[in-house]
Amino acid sequence: MASKNRGPQRGGRDNQPDPITRWIVIGMVALVVVIGAIFTVVSNRSAENVALPPGASKDDGYGIVFNADKTPTINIWEDFQCPSCKRFEDINGGRISELITQGKAKVVFNTLSFLGPESVLAGMGGGCAADQGKFVEYKKFLYQNQQQEGSGTWTKQYVISMAAAMGLDENKFATCLNTEKYKKWLTNVSAAGGAANINGTPTYVINGEVIESDDQGVNYYTAEGFNAQLARFGIN
Amino acid sequence: MTELNPAVSTAQKSQALLSWVGLFARLALGGVLFAAGAIKIPYPYKAAAAMRAYELLPNNLASFFGYILPWFEVGLGLLLILGVATRLSGLIGALLMLLFIGAIASAWARGLSIDCGCFGGGGEIDPSQTRYLEEIIRDIGLALCGFYLYLRPHSRFALDNRGK
Repeated sequence: MASKNRGPQRGGRDNQPDPITRWIVIGMVALVVVIGAIFTVVSNRSAENVALPPGASKDDGYGIVFNADKTPTINIWEDFQCPSCKRFEDINGGRISELITQGKAKVVFNTLSFLGPESVLAGMGGGCAADQGKFVEYKKFLYQNQQQEGSGTWTKQYVISMAAAMGLDENKFATCLNTEKYKKWLTNVSAAGGAANINGTPTYVINGEVIESDDQGVNYYTAEGFNAQLARFGIN
Repeated sequence: MTELNPAVSTAQKSQALLSWVGLFARLALGGVLFAAGAIKIPYPYKAAAAMRAYELLPNNLASFFGYILPWFEVGLGLLLILGVATRLSGLIGALLMLLFIGAIASAWARGLSIDCGCFGGGGEIDPSQTRYLEEIIRDIGLALCGFYLYLRPHSRFALDNRGK
C-alpha cells in the first residue's frame, strides 16, 4: 500500500484521490475497537441464574462461605496464581482453617481470576472441588504446587491431575472442569470484586475493613502480624 | 528567479526532513499506545482495577473505562502507525496524554502510592516504588508528538498520503 508514497506530493499519475482506502481502514479500526470494547464490558458483567458451587453466596461477593452465622466476617480475595497469596497461605493458611473449624469467624473465600487463563482454570477447579466438599483442601494443594505466574503449566489436564492427586474424584472433577461449569460463577466473583473496589490480591477484609499490609506497621505475612489484626476484631 | 531556486530547494529539504519527524512522532505515540493497549486487553480486571486505584471516578464508571480504554488505545495506535487521519488521531492522542498526565499528577498530589497501570500492572504499590515523575515526563513527550502531528500532519509512509 505504501509503495506509492513518495513523501511530499508532487502530483503525478499515482497520486489520484483515494479516500476509499482511508475510510476502509478507519472503519475497520473503529469496528474492532467498538466490538472489542463491548465484548469486554459484556463478558465481565455479573449474570443472574449462574451455577454456584455449594456454599457460594451472592451477598458475600459470590464467595464460598464457611460459618455463615458467625462473626466477624473475614473476606479473603485471592487468585490462586498470585505469589503473595501463596506467601500468606504458607504462613497463615493453617490459622484460617483453624478459625473455620473452631467457629471463630465467618470466612469467605472470594476467588478472583485476573492473572490470566491459568487463574481461570484453577478458579473453576475451586468450584469443582467445592462440589466435593474440599474447597479449602484444594486451594491449599494448589498453593503448595503453585507455578511461576503465567508459565502455562496449569492446563486443564494438569489441574485435573492435581485434583486427583489430592484425593478428589477425578472423573467428577474432570467433567466439572471440562464443561466449565463454574466459569460464569468466577465472572460474578470478579464483578463483585470490582464493585467492592478490590484492586489487588491478596486483599483481606474483616467486617468490611480492608486490612492493608505494610501500612502503618501492619504486616500480615507473619503469624504475629496477622494475629494482631484478628485480635482487633476480637479473635484470639 | 535565480535567487529563488536555492530557497525553494531549502524549503523542499526541510519539508522532507519534517515528514521524517512526522513519521517518528506517529510511530512513537502510535507504537506506545498500541503496545500499552495490547498488553492490557487480556487482563480486563487488572485494567479496571488500575483505573479504580486512581480514585477519580465512581467505582463502576472507573471499571467501565478500564475495560474499554485498552481497545481505544489499540485503535488510536493503529491509526497513528498506519498514518490514517493523522491530524485528528494526533490531537486525540495528545489530549489523551494530557488526561493521563492530569490523573497521574493528581494521584501524586493526593499522596496515593499507585502504579500508573499504563502498561498493565497498576494499583497500589509501595510508596518507594512510585515513579510519577518519569511517567509524567514520558507522557509529556508523547503529548508533544501528538500536538506536532496536529500542527504538521504530513509524514512519510502514511496512508494519508495516498490520493492527495
